[in-house]
Amino acid sequence: MASHGVSRAAGTIVRSEESRKRELQQIAAYQELVDLVNTKERQYTIEVLGLTTKLLNENPEYYTVWNHRRRVLLALSNPPMEDQDQTERLTHNIEELVNDELHLTFGLLRKFPKCYWIWNHRSWVLQQAEKLLSAATAKKIWSGELLLVGKMLQADSRNFHAWSYRRSVVLELERMSTPTSDSAASDPPLPQSLVESEFEYTTKMIKTNLSNFSAWHNRGKLIPPLLAERQADNAARRRMLDDELALICTAINTDPFDQSIWYYHRFLLSTLIPSCPDQSKIAVDLSNSDRAQYYTHEMEYIGEILEDETDCKWIYEALLYLAECSLEVDAGTGAFTTQDMRSWLVQLRRLDPLRMGRWSDLGRALNI
Amino acid sequence: MLYTVSGVQILATLDAFDELEQRVKGGRTKIGQYIAALQDPVTGTFAGDEWGEQDTRFLYGAFNALSLMGLLHLVDVDKAVRYIQSCANFDGGYGTSPRAESHAGQIFTCVGALTIAGRLDLVNQDKLGAWLSERQLKNGGLNGRPEKKEDVCYSWWVMSSLAMLSKLHWIDGDKLSEFILQCQDPEGGGFADRPGDMVDVFHTVFALAGLSLLNYPGLEEVDPVYCMPKSVTKRCLGRSVAGGRAQGGT
Repeated sequence: MASHGVSRAAGTIVRSEESRKRELQQIAAYQELVDLVNTKERQYTIEVLGLTTKLLNENPEYYTVWNHRRRVLLALSNPPMEDQDQTERLTHNIEELVNDELHLTFGLLRKFPKCYWIWNHRSWVLQQAEKLLSAATAKKIWSGELLLVGKMLQADSRNFHAWSYRRSVVLELERMSTPTSDSAASDPPLPQSLVESEFEYTTKMIKTNLSNFSAWHNRGKLIPPLLAERQADNAARRRMLDDELALICTAINTDPFDQSIWYYHRFLLSTLIPSCPDQSKIAVDLSNSDRAQYYTHEMEYIGEILEDETDCKWIYEALLYLAECSLEVDAGTGAFTTQDMRSWLVQLRRLDPLRMGRWSDLGRALNI
Repeated sequence: MLYTVSGVQILATLDAFDELEQRVKGGRTKIGQYIAALQDPVTGTFAGDEWGEQDTRFLYGAFNALSLMGLLHLVDVDKAVRYIQSCANFDGGYGTSPRAESHAGQIFTCVGALTIAGRLDLVNQDKLGAWLSERQLKNGGLNGRPEKKEDVCYSWWVMSSLAMLSKLHWIDGDKLSEFILQCQDPEGGGFADRPGDMVDVFHTVFALAGLSLLNYPGLEEVDPVYCMPKSVTKRCLGRSVAGGRAQGGT
């Protein structure tokens, strides 16, 4: 396994003979467990299930063992059936199996939040639950997943596994709440779409930490479906764009050195350019003179921040980008001159020598 | 998929495909067919195994192994390429799946797969190059996403992608070399994620491969697409694929 953030000092301290022996014993025990599980590769019993639990607790990266475990689970949840009583008992057993799997993976995710296989196994279990259990039970289980993933994101708000999982849970819940002709009337109706509450969730996450690009990213992905669901007209769409720009500009003012914030700003600007695909646009009725106005407004705002922060390279980069965009839609806004662009590039070279090659290429591309 | 790709890479390194053929008749085709069967006929992406987990990592793995065996024609390359495009974000980067945040590791898999497919023209090269270059921090190390910590393995994911885009000069190579070397265990050998941390094989591979991309003296030249010695990939791919890889580069 790859180790991350484990200090070397801890490993090189001279170990006592006793602790060395203990470690060797642990290694031997692990090897024995691996051998035992592998000799039982074709046995699908509760006993083997227990052995894989033990092994996966030691090493959740061992993905072959997750596969073995799934074979055991499938066998246990699909024994030959003889009568009705047995079927009922089995349903009960499956629910128990599902709960045990959720419990196991939750514990492991707390310890190994970035392990792909654990997240994957959990998704698989939930898909099985949906196939094997009643719709109501499955729905209840899936709803709990939003709570789980909320906890995971509380522990690490940038965990991209958790964000992906969140998006897939939301999709699943939305799909399950789509009314079908035979859906039971007694079911508590789930909201059709979670896009509003998910958008709210990103607001909450951003307010906790402006630097959370994962939240900004998700927010950006939610805006087009949100506008579609609200059946937003052109004016409402422009309001959304203005509100988001205002929000991110306040954030820039708060911390102009944070990359996450600038990337969301850049994302919003990317929806303005004429070549932006329709499904990604926020405002849909912009003329080139509207665009030029937006660019000028942003340049003025960022120019004001520049007065207090002359050593922030992101400001110069944004100004150059806005200048480029302006030139594309309207050569004569008068908001800047080629001389300005040249001076911003000089600042970028001064403040950001690590990327000198890039600034040289940019100067050539802009012909300044 | 993962073990299979590693197996193929080892066979390629040892120049042992003929020996495989002697021991298992039609062995190479069988491997190719196994990989091809993991392609999702609807979306074009690949699963990791029969259990169906999908991720652009597996798509890259499939392209990597199939191209080394000269069997890329067994899969629907165009469909897979369209899937990669659906993972693209406004910043030019790619995520694990459509709608996922750009991540340097995933960018390596997507740009690598597109390079193998000869479709680097689909990459927004300036935007992606800029994003990748911003992964370099003041200490010289590279991170995998905005506002995250540096880690030696990103020396590979980020730098290989920059190399495929012919933009390695957009970061400071000397500073990065210094950072990678600081991650070495001077007594026991090997490299760690960060200076002073415990070493492991994973980080050692990517540290060495990264240093090779930086032309560090005494190392074999590494192929940024395959993370294997260039002498090996050249032998496997021959002229036609190498020519295909050059297109789209600026």
